Amino acid sequence: MDLRNLSVCQAVEDIHSGEYTAHDLIEKTLENCTLLNESLNIFIHQAGIDALEQAKAIDLRIEKGEKLPLAGIPVAVKDDICYGVLPTTFGSGGFSDFYSPYTATAVEKLMEAGAIVVGKTNLDNMSLGSSTTSSPKGATINPWDNSRAAGSAGAAAVITGAAMVALESDSGGALRQGASSCGVTGLRPTSGLVSRHGLNLHSSSFGQVGVTALTGKNIDAVLQVIAGYDQYDASTLISKDEFIPEIEPAAIDNLKIGFPQSLVEGLEPELKTACQETINLFKEQGFEITDVSLRMLPEALRAYYVIAQAEASSNHARFDGIRFGTASEADNLEELYLKSRSNLLGREGRQRSIYGTYLLGKGNFDLYYRQALKVWNLVRREFALALTGCDLLLMPVVKNLPPLLREEKDLISSWEEDIFCAPVSLSGLPALSFPAGMIGELPVGLQLVGPPFSEKTLTAVSDIVVRDKQLFPHGKA
Amino acid sequence: MSDIEKRFDKAVKTAKLGLSEDEHDRLYQQLGVFLNWLNPLLEVDTAGIEPILLGHNSVNVLREDCARKGVMAELQEAAPEFDQGFYRVPPIIE
Repeated sequence: MDLRNLSVCQAVEDIHSGEYTAHDLIEKTLENCTLLNESLNIFIHQAGIDALEQAKAIDLRIEKGEKLPLAGIPVAVKDDICYGVLPTTFGSGGFSDFYSPYTATAVEKLMEAGAIVVGKTNLDNMSLGSSTTSSPKGATINPWDNSRAAGSAGAAAVITGAAMVALESDSGGALRQGASSCGVTGLRPTSGLVSRHGLNLHSSSFGQVGVTALTGKNIDAVLQVIAGYDQYDASTLISKDEFIPEIEPAAIDNLKIGFPQSLVEGLEPELKTACQETINLFKEQGFEITDVSLRMLPEALRAYYVIAQAEASSNHARFDGIRFGTASEADNLEELYLKSRSNLLGREGRQRSIYGTYLLGKGNFDLYYRQALKVWNLVRREFALALTGCDLLLMPVVKNLPPLLREEKDLISSWEEDIFCAPVSLSGLPALSFPAGMIGELPVGLQLVGPPFSEKTLTAVSDIVVRDKQLFPHGKA
Repeated sequence: MSDIEKRFDKAVKTAKLGLSEDEHDRLYQQLGVFLNWLNPLLEVDTAGIEPILLGHNSVNVLREDCARKGVMAELQEAAPEFDQGFYRVPPIIE
């Protein structure tokens, strides 16, 4: 059984029909996890016996005639999403033995549907980044090119068969960029569609729980389960019953796709080729391609970093060694705060907390923060306007290849990598990164952005390309 | 000490982070680069634009503000006894 050639729907069907058991599938997956973790550093914690016990319980329920929409599906969960059975580290050494007293709603829903968590995946320190290079456990290695970072450990797990699905967070684009770097499909859903209860948010405005899988169809199967209202997250918008796709996959024949041609100037030639090939494929499907204007991306990126840092400075205030996190040894309270917080937050966390506090301070609040909130409004209008002339937008995800393992980028250069993803986060619209081509030995993705709740259209359209490309790092992982 | 430096030191103190001298200097130098990078944001004309405060596009849905017939009349009719705005019920404590 090769998880990379098995769809979620097929596996669920096989388990219900007795082709194999959930236990068989999880046992095989855990073997992959152990083997791959040694070479790629994907997991911070693996579930092991817990996952096998859960698989047995699922098999018993199926024997009794229960139908479970995600029976036995192995899921990897990013380690900034709480799961009570395993430690949740948030990518900080100060939380290495922290067990959350509750499990995130999205994970709970997956488990109720029969899915099984096989491990907690690696992430940047306090989830501040999109490369994993600042993780205290070291970077996750890209399965395609072992000299580079994977970008997202969940994406690395999916492409190598260490999980069929990964639940991940996306604020400025970590999930989408990781999907691009590993050659898988990654969805950032419409803001409010999936509960964020149990996600350690550094940015309350932009953080979302999303899904990574090999295909859009696999994502559909998971989204159907995790979408919907949650009493523990006031920002969830709708009830599950109202999650109805605007356009059924069968009705995508005459789509009009907006492509901001001006954005691709200055990109790597291979990335331009991937854009052109995807456009050609869409044209063959009968889609109309039209040029659209998105002029505010540079300002949107800046607004993102003002707001996200301001929010991080507030959200990270609770990590002080008293309310959360390991307390450092100290002679007095002030020293305890200073030492504990410095240890817990890490380099990027310290910087964001200080800059965020600076931006919210007297004399700076209106100048930077309030201006960023207004620009956010303009960016949202620009995306809405762009979508009045087309059904979906096609955009790049990344500017460059994922970083080399020992590459040190300066602050601004690393932030500018988010130029195509962070502005979409401001729009609040769903965005889906899908594999569209290769740059040398590495895959590269593009993203589709659609109106609110158009997730099923995005996955159906992206699967046209995914089916055509069939990218796998054979023999590399 | 410049205004920026004073505000930076205040932010470090407020954030309650113990920084080494090297890290303090690096972050202060970097702050200048960051603020310069933000200049295009400040140049955007936002006159008349409201700041956004929510991560999603939802709007509050309010019902029409008009008087409606309540259920008081029905309740009064159903009550065993009603006197001067109060429901009279048998005592439960002797």
